Amino acid sequence: MSLTTTDRDTGRPPWRDLPPPPRPKAARMGPADVVRVGGSGLRARPMRVFLSALGIAIGIAAMIGVVGISTSSTHDLNQRLAALGTNLLTVSPGESFDGGQAHLPTTSLAMIRDIPEVETVSALGKTSAKVYRNDHVPVAQSGGLRVTAARTDLLAAIGAELTDGTWLNAATSRYPAVVLGSHAAEQLGIHYAGPEVKVWLGDRWFTVVGLLAPNELLPDLDSNAMVGWAVAEEELGFDGYPTSVYTRVEESAVGDVQAKLGATANPEFPNEVDVSRPSDVLAAKEATDDTLSGLLLGLGGVSLLVGGVGVANTMVISVLERRSEIGLRRSLGATRGQIRTQFLAEALLLSALGGIGGVLLGIGVTIAYASYQGMSTVVPVWAMAGGIGATLVIGGLAGFYPALRAARLPPTEALATS
Amino acid sequence: MTASSHPVVDLAGVSKSYGDLTALRSADLVVHRGELLAVVGPSGSGKSTMLNIMGTLDRPTAGKVRIAGHDIDELRDRDLSALRAATIGFVFQQFHLARGVPALDSVADGLLYSGRGRAERRELAERALRRVGLGRRLYHEPHQLSGGEKQRVAIARAVLGDPPLLLADEPTGALDSRSGAVVMELLHELHEAGTTVVVITHDRDIAASLPREVRLKDGRIEYDSALGDAPAGELVAAEGGLR
Repeated sequence: MSLTTTDRDTGRPPWRDLPPPPRPKAARMGPADVVRVGGSGLRARPMRVFLSALGIAIGIAAMIGVVGISTSSTHDLNQRLAALGTNLLTVSPGESFDGGQAHLPTTSLAMIRDIPEVETVSALGKTSAKVYRNDHVPVAQSGGLRVTAARTDLLAAIGAELTDGTWLNAATSRYPAVVLGSHAAEQLGIHYAGPEVKVWLGDRWFTVVGLLAPNELLPDLDSNAMVGWAVAEEELGFDGYPTSVYTRVEESAVGDVQAKLGATANPEFPNEVDVSRPSDVLAAKEATDDTLSGLLLGLGGVSLLVGGVGVANTMVISVLERRSEIGLRRSLGATRGQIRTQFLAEALLLSALGGIGGVLLGIGVTIAYASYQGMSTVVPVWAMAGGIGATLVIGGLAGFYPALRAARLPPTEALATS
Repeated sequence: MTASSHPVVDLAGVSKSYGDLTALRSADLVVHRGELLAVVGPSGSGKSTMLNIMGTLDRPTAGKVRIAGHDIDELRDRDLSALRAATIGFVFQQFHLARGVPALDSVADGLLYSGRGRAERRELAERALRRVGLGRRLYHEPHQLSGGEKQRVAIARAVLGDPPLLLADEPTGALDSRSGAVVMELLHELHEAGTTVVVITHDRDIAASLPREVRLKDGRIEYDSALGDAPAGELVAAEGGLR
């Protein structure tokens, strides 16, 4: 009797009546195995992986760099503003009703001082005098420097600092003594203050008693030569009208005071007064250029997109090249889903590699720029997380189609390729 | 003799056509547990189609296929994958070893889809490599191995989980005769240890050296040494190969 022949009585092999075995059940792969299998394809072709990841990395680095640099700049500006104080308000005469130059009443200082929230008030008054290195310089070459009369309490009111010498006091403000702004000092070739250092100012010699440090909040001061209020009136034909009134106000009341400062300074013609807040001007000037940032972000986005196409291309080639591997894995018992997962994991790993590289590169660019500018580096966590998140989305999209193709490949066809 | 278990392979009237081309015509073949047989025929005779159908890599156009008792008509693609993972080991002519991967990891991948943990897979892989005589080549990569050694690695990968069925497609096709002999000897040893082995080959000498021989020609089973149409002496020999 042969085992392979049918049962002689029934004409039917006896094992056909045995109960069928239970349906086989596909096992799940652990996450560690998914990552390992996804990574195996990358390990085999390091150069290609590096180049495809680089495309993603450049895109992410551009975006992180733009965000990092702009955040670092803003952070730096805020720190500087906090140091300079944002409670300084300036009042200056605007145009009069007939279009001429208006002037502030001489009483304006006293009236502003009467506002309860005002902490300090001081003023500068423009004169028509010119300042020169010495009496041989032609009159026309005044170098754009201004000579202004300054109150003795100005230094404290605006929070300016001296690099050398002293500020004007009750005594020196009556005598031909001058304090130079940093630009003015540079222009006149003055490097230190002292009794022997003199400049030619309004047809006589003035002694340089002090030099001001560059003033970030009030850059106009840098090109001023400041003399005492009394000596200006006596020697330089100064009319005694303040042209800039500086007030420090309680932080909490800056807005309120700013609103009524014009009317207080010149109750008769409140419209002829300009009130400004120098810290706002500085913030507006230094605010990062949104157009440029937008453009760079856009470029980063395009680069990211191109990087994604690169990853998709790499994955399509990878699937084509590894048909026999796919066949082998199917023969070992991989389901279509497991093949799909493998290639998707590979694409995700590839772009995550690019994403992490890009974030590091972006941080590096930000650090380089920030240290060059003398700022501290700030890269927001949301930007890094967003960068990595974006690469995962791109990796998923780029890997989806190749993974689907790999999974759909019939095992016999896959094995037939060698 | 009564049938106490399902045969490993049970093909009944199986045909497979690709468009107008019929690769296999109403094939009947039953392989019982513990057999060692050759499916032999020239190229284009339908051997590969037969292998693909026995290995559940492909479905027939007509006829019934049962593998270890499972009617594959009733199984989804996902179930067939699970069936292959648990029941069938494959050995290919081209070895299919990934370059740069040490033998131990290649072999351990044989159970990657079985649901077993990595430590267990590697432990079994080491045992399987020792079993095929490659205990000293655990960490060798394919380019450091000879053809015969590569095929032994592939065999270790196929038998790692002790599958009831081992399908070897031209296992000696890419080897010189000495390495081929070693590989055939290994298949004999596995058979003696209880594995059902089906060798697909075009080599008539190899086919003749195995206990059972199934000859294919133009998509038909021309001769099966286990059936009555075989010469009496050969049938006895075939039964001797069964257990």
